[in-house]
Amino acid sequence: MKKINRRDFMRTSGAAAAAVTLAHTPGLAWSQGVGTTAPFPDYKALVCVFLHGGNDSFNMLVPNTTAEYNVYAASRQNMAIAQQDLLPINPVSAGGSNPFGLHPSMTGLQGLFEAGKASFVANVGPLVEPTTKDQYFAGSVTVPSQLFSHNDQQDQWHSLKGAGTSKTGWAGRIADLIRQSVTEQQMATNASLNGTILWQSAEETIAYVMGQTGPLQFEGFSNDPNNILYDQRQAFQRIVEAQYGSVYERGFAEIQRRAIAAADTVSEAIANAPVLTTVFPNSPLGRQLETVAKLIGNRDALQMQRQIFFVGIGGFDSHDDQVQNQPNLLGGVSASLTAFQGALDELAIADSVTTFTQSDFGRTLTSNGDGTDHAWGGNQVIMGGAIQGRDIFGTYPVLQIGGNDDVGGGRMIPTTSADQFAATLAKWFGIPDADLDIVAPHIDNFTQRDLGFMV
Amino acid sequence: MNTKLISIVAALMLGVAGCGGSGGGGGGGQPPPPPPPPITMAEAYQFLNQATMGATLDEAQRVIGMRYEAWIDDQLRKPASLQLPHVQSLPLPPFIGQLQPDRIDIWFRNALHGDDQLRQRVAFALSEIMVVSQLGVLNNYPYGLASYYDTLAENAFGNYRDLIEDVTLHPAMGVYLSMLGNEKPDPVNNIRPDENYARELMQLFSIGLVELNLDGTVKTDGQGQPVATYDQSIIEGFAHVYTGWTFAGSPVFRGARPTLTNQVIPMQLWQSFHDTGSKTLLNDFVVPAGQSGNLDLQMALDNIFNHPNVGPFIATRLIERLTTSNPSPQYVERVATVFNDNGRGVRGDLGAVVKAILLDAEARSNPGSDTDGKIKEPLLRLTQLFKAYNATSQSGRYPLGFAYVVFGQGPLQASHVFNFFSPFYAPPGEINDRGLVAPELEISTEYLNTYVTNYFFYQTFGLNQTNQNLNEDDVYIDISEEMAIATDVDALINMVADKLLGGQISDTLRNETAGMLALIPETEAALRAAETIYFVTTSPEYAYQR
Repeated sequence: MKKINRRDFMRTSGAAAAAVTLAHTPGLAWSQGVGTTAPFPDYKALVCVFLHGGNDSFNMLVPNTTAEYNVYAASRQNMAIAQQDLLPINPVSAGGSNPFGLHPSMTGLQGLFEAGKASFVANVGPLVEPTTKDQYFAGSVTVPSQLFSHNDQQDQWHSLKGAGTSKTGWAGRIADLIRQSVTEQQMATNASLNGTILWQSAEETIAYVMGQTGPLQFEGFSNDPNNILYDQRQAFQRIVEAQYGSVYERGFAEIQRRAIAAADTVSEAIANAPVLTTVFPNSPLGRQLETVAKLIGNRDALQMQRQIFFVGIGGFDSHDDQVQNQPNLLGGVSASLTAFQGALDELAIADSVTTFTQSDFGRTLTSNGDGTDHAWGGNQVIMGGAIQGRDIFGTYPVLQIGGNDDVGGGRMIPTTSADQFAATLAKWFGIPDADLDIVAPHIDNFTQRDLGFMV
Repeated sequence: MNTKLISIVAALMLGVAGCGGSGGGGGGGQPPPPPPPPITMAEAYQFLNQATMGATLDEAQRVIGMRYEAWIDDQLRKPASLQLPHVQSLPLPPFIGQLQPDRIDIWFRNALHGDDQLRQRVAFALSEIMVVSQLGVLNNYPYGLASYYDTLAENAFGNYRDLIEDVTLHPAMGVYLSMLGNEKPDPVNNIRPDENYARELMQLFSIGLVELNLDGTVKTDGQGQPVATYDQSIIEGFAHVYTGWTFAGSPVFRGARPTLTNQVIPMQLWQSFHDTGSKTLLNDFVVPAGQSGNLDLQMALDNIFNHPNVGPFIATRLIERLTTSNPSPQYVERVATVFNDNGRGVRGDLGAVVKAILLDAEARSNPGSDTDGKIKEPLLRLTQLFKAYNATSQSGRYPLGFAYVVFGQGPLQASHVFNFFSPFYAPPGEINDRGLVAPELEISTEYLNTYVTNYFFYQTFGLNQTNQNLNEDDVYIDISEEMAIATDVDALINMVADKLLGGQISDTLRNETAGMLALIPETEAALRAAETIYFVTTSPEYAYQR
């Protein structure tokens, strides 16, 4: 994998050497470089909604013509959604004949789609190069390692590592690439509201992790020099800034330093954010997206120019009881996405924020009795004011067991690669075409570098 | 958290701003050096933080007296402190999931007061390798989860082959990874066996994804690429093996329901739902057609058990949980060798494996290099504090059901089968740059570190025996010994450093603590004691397991 080389950055600026040192320094980790690249003239944000466990997205976006629905139903058997229950949608490129339907729980998403605020990318997944069924079984193409395994395929989506290994994610690499253009930012470009995530790991920049409603502030710390709790904070800080003998103490202390440095400013930005009338679902995903909306709403307080947010929910690994559980899962996603887009409209920032889903993998079209197992390609939602709305991008596969897209049990070979998906988003975000292969290492293996879903 | 504590603490702290203090003498004596070289207090603490739920002065004295091997041998003979009898003894609440805090309660009781400390620590380690969790489908199975934990504790020093059989047939695992109710194929309806358990037993509990050398390093082929241990077809072979099992005593196979009794006894085979075709497993081993589901299972578990990866894989996982995140290949090889043969021709003797891990020279150096040791798991930072300061509550309970929220981990409270953190996690910066790992730092985010730090703040300042407003279930610590000497800065710091750090405290931590004590009046004994314990428990050196 092509790496972001520190020396390249040093050559660009005499001051960059200092930036390299500062990147891992407490408090300064947020100002991610002091290079010469001009700052961005605008604000943009990417918001990844990760559906942990592997969303059965061939039940989220379902073919709705009689012929194609019948193929779907024959494959899915007791996992199939009844055709009359599907929520019809009218993609622009299909001439308005309801050729697809959404899961009946996703009324909000149906509304967003029909209003041109959402689209889908069909059957997308990790690939090293375009792959046919024959090539797959002949072993004549390279495929990503450890297909069908949860953590490995999550890592694939996060890192786009293909058949190799990677310790950085594509959001992390984006943050590294733009770090000299966002030097005034008071918070890291990458922020997660759902734990540490490989997607945001980088060589030069650091992702900031907060909770569902933002950071916690330290109890017993004061900023008033006349208060003993000010002394306490100072003493605590000197302890975590001291030299330590083991890598573990040093790693732990570094996180504590960053936590102290950011807790007050980020908490304040959330507290002082514009009040939203949009009501979010009181769910883990709803709370995370509400916090993201607040941070976007108050972006100027932290002088943010580019932000990449990670939010996520679990429960999608539906080996059991899929029919019972899927309505709540997909209904919850739909309601939270709808609220989030509503809040962005309210903030008049919708054109600058692109939201998208990712998930470990799609699931087998076949059933294991009461659920489904790990597969490969799947459908993803894209949403926002800068996307080409009301459409389906990529190639929807033939959902036939043993068909040309099935490597067994109804595991769909992706017809669009996660590299293409990432590159399209990265290009919109401001990454020059020449650097897209740093973000998406296999993009040169695909003729279509841009899937065209961004305006 | 008791919110009124915050205001109490804040008021106390504000009230003492700007006052001075004074220091005094201190320091302890050194024992004479008889042969063999005596175990020091610091060494005993290092050992006990690897082998128990938290080092204490009393137990350190026992280790010093007995020496390591005799202490381990003594522990290997202790029967398991169990959870299920306690949970079963309680009246049934309206919703059975309300018993989960009681399951956590008995976990803490055993962790703090069980005399089978080594067994409890190894059971905790196993619970992070063979993961089931309250979060998700098992929330209404408190009996099943307690029973599962007991299964780990009872097998902790037994044979690994027995362990994986008991885990495989435990209904909590059956529900969690959906082997329960898994049935033979029905090609007409496009139904094939569930692959969930087949995959995770191999990937996470036994052999991992790639072939390993005895020393745990990855085997490579002629092109320098790792060699996969299995492919999708082998997963399907095992998935067919694991068909036909459901809750014991159920009148039906399909739609079998959990009961209070069937969630704590092994699953039962329904041969008519078992696939009787032949199955190809690891290393081209073929389970012949026409066998019973039980015989298929025995052969499949033997097939996994005898895979050469199990020794280095389990050695590495247990070393990472007990002693160090970055063992040398030689250390892994020494332990894996014991797994393969305990010296008496037995493969899979976990008691011998645990002993080898703890007695290894690499675990007993103090510390030899800057990569020795590991981050102390956040929950173990709490249990160590609780043990050192005789934590209890007015009710005698420890119903800290929120542990996973505050600490990022709790007993059987992982958010998925991949545990609280990945064994391969390396934070950006020095650890990643040097090719090292620090799994526990995956849950040491800015957010969770702050949560844990704040918890220790509440615990030390608010939840101690001087608080007159405790709720009956508030777990509080006893800081009266510190309060008795609280005017003597050196003696106070030394006492806390002895109890929590085995006497090894950095100059920075000592000086900064002394500086704060200088600001708190000598009359405020509880505040002075709490301040000292707060600074130590939130320090990088306390978060480090040497």
